[in-house]
Amino acid sequence: MKILIIEDEKALQQSIQQYLEYQGYICETADNFLNAKEKIQQFNYDCIVVDIGLPYGSGLDIIKELKHMESKAGIIIISAKNSLEDKLTGLESGSDDYITKPFHLSELNARINAVLRRRSFDGNKTIVFNEIKLDPDAQRITVNDKTVELTEKEYHLLEYFIVNQRRVLTKHAIASHVWGDEYEYLNNYDFIYTHIKNLRKKLVDAGSGDYIKTVYGSGYRFTDN
Amino acid sequence: MRLLTKTTLYFLSAMTMLLLLAGFYLFNQFSKELSNKSDKELLQEEAAWIQYLQTEVAAGVTFILRTPDISIYPVDTPPNNYAAITDVKSNLAAVPYRQLSQVVSIYGISYQVIIKKSQEQKAALIANTTKIILLVFAGLFIATIFFNWIISKKLWKPFYRSLHTIRRTDLQRIQETHFEKTYTKEFNELNAALNAMTEKIYNDFINMKEFTENAAHEMQTPLSVAQSKLELLLQNENLSQEDIRLILEATTSLTRLSKLNQGLLLLARIENYQYKTTAALSLNEVTKKYLGLLAELINDKQLTVTTNFEGEFVMQLHPLLADSLVSNLLGNAVKYNYTGGRIEIAITANSYCISNTSLHEAIPQEKLFRRFMTQDKTDANSNGLGLAIVKKIADTHSLLINYRAANGFVYFDIKRKPVSS
Repeated sequence: MKILIIEDEKALQQSIQQYLEYQGYICETADNFLNAKEKIQQFNYDCIVVDIGLPYGSGLDIIKELKHMESKAGIIIISAKNSLEDKLTGLESGSDDYITKPFHLSELNARINAVLRRRSFDGNKTIVFNEIKLDPDAQRITVNDKTVELTEKEYHLLEYFIVNQRRVLTKHAIASHVWGDEYEYLNNYDFIYTHIKNLRKKLVDAGSGDYIKTVYGSGYRFTDN
Repeated sequence: MRLLTKTTLYFLSAMTMLLLLAGFYLFNQFSKELSNKSDKELLQEEAAWIQYLQTEVAAGVTFILRTPDISIYPVDTPPNNYAAITDVKSNLAAVPYRQLSQVVSIYGISYQVIIKKSQEQKAALIANTTKIILLVFAGLFIATIFFNWIISKKLWKPFYRSLHTIRRTDLQRIQETHFEKTYTKEFNELNAALNAMTEKIYNDFINMKEFTENAAHEMQTPLSVAQSKLELLLQNENLSQEDIRLILEATTSLTRLSKLNQGLLLLARIENYQYKTTAALSLNEVTKKYLGLLAELINDKQLTVTTNFEGEFVMQLHPLLADSLVSNLLGNAVKYNYTGGRIEIAITANSYCISNTSLHEAIPQEKLFRRFMTQDKTDANSNGLGLAIVKKIADTHSLLINYRAANGFVYFDIKRKPVSS
């Protein structure tokens, strides 16, 4: 899977690249409008992560160019502006998703994963981790081909864990992914802890390995070693 | 009091004083003149009587005359050289008499001559002067009122036009505001100053707008960089537990900072009226949406939610602000509640009330809506801007928000501001 990261802030660009490469993607980068335009014309990418504010042009024009070329790449906008108008223009222009700075790398990774899965044509949309299999369309999971009943939140938790497997995830990143902005009205993270505990129990009861590891403080890691 | 009423009053009181003085002076002058004239007449009359008396006395008659106006009779007192003319009060008439009194010697016999003259004329004079003064005053009064009315209509017109323009102006459209040239120097000066001021306000507004936009971009990017670096650092396999703890704490603080930044930007944007909309939306629908989104948290805390949607609260509000308003109020009702507590939402066409059971003590209202007034300083998920944002939305959308605490409940009441003329 090849991803193009169009971001003028070098430090952020490198972080994104490093994280995505950890997760097994091949990444290329562009740090201005002209550079980006050149790259999209020369190469094919599966997914393009684009910042709106770029030197020499707007990220929105890159998207227009991609649409003009009838590119099949998934597009995710990253923007510093958390405004509804920008979000709407972004999505109307043909991008698949919109993420506001600052974001968690694990969140961006999950979004890329979802976009790629939606766009894959070979029909293989399942997410597999050892004996655990997820079917995102039906939101169904099986452990050793046996169905496990999960609540909606538990399903989202598990998907997030597997997509970001082996990475340390903060409670905050998990909460904002699964509960959106509403998690701000939590007094504490006990609530998340309860959900993770239930998920862990259901998976172990169904015969899977105990993959959810707590990391000191307020983090979790989904790993098989 | 209107400026015009004030000037009229001053003018009229000054006029009253002047007219009184003028009346007094007039009266005095006329009265002196009249006295002189009647004194001369008295003396002439006396002279005529003395002549008559001389012929009578020469004929050997002892002359005595007593009428209400003239008395002549012999006395023993020695004669005076001069006639004394005085005002004498009488019980019969309101006006004193002018009275001449002299003892004259006619062929060696002293005669007392007293001639009285009515001063009816003088009384008439007082009445006339008063009448004239009153007439002049009434005329002046009517004329002043009439002219002031005309003046206020004509002369003050540019002033009221400018005033109307100022009242109508809002920050969004201040650029279109222009105060026109008039034919009055003072108003031209005023309008020129107002034009300069609106231009300055407009420029400041634009700068402020640009600043908020830039601040968003400029601050969010370094924050993203720092956060992403910490996230990468966290993936390092060789970190000790202590290292991880430090990184996680730094991450939490960064998240807080970022939320704070977003909250302050939102406040600035609301203040700058950057959320304009012409579409109406229903707060009932937004509330239902958030009850759904927060359902899990509500269940987790075993809260009982009672809704009483008597009417539909429809208003012109940007969807983002509607979300912000409802989520902050409802979110707080969940957050500052205790397990097993209650939330009550009552909506009518003109009022919106959220109340909830709370363990927290009542906070003075003026403090509550201030920025950074958080109930719990150690709470990482509270930046103390939520209620400030709610208040700002209310203030900019003609809503009144009220907070009170009673019987273990806290209430937030939102009402439409009565339309002021």
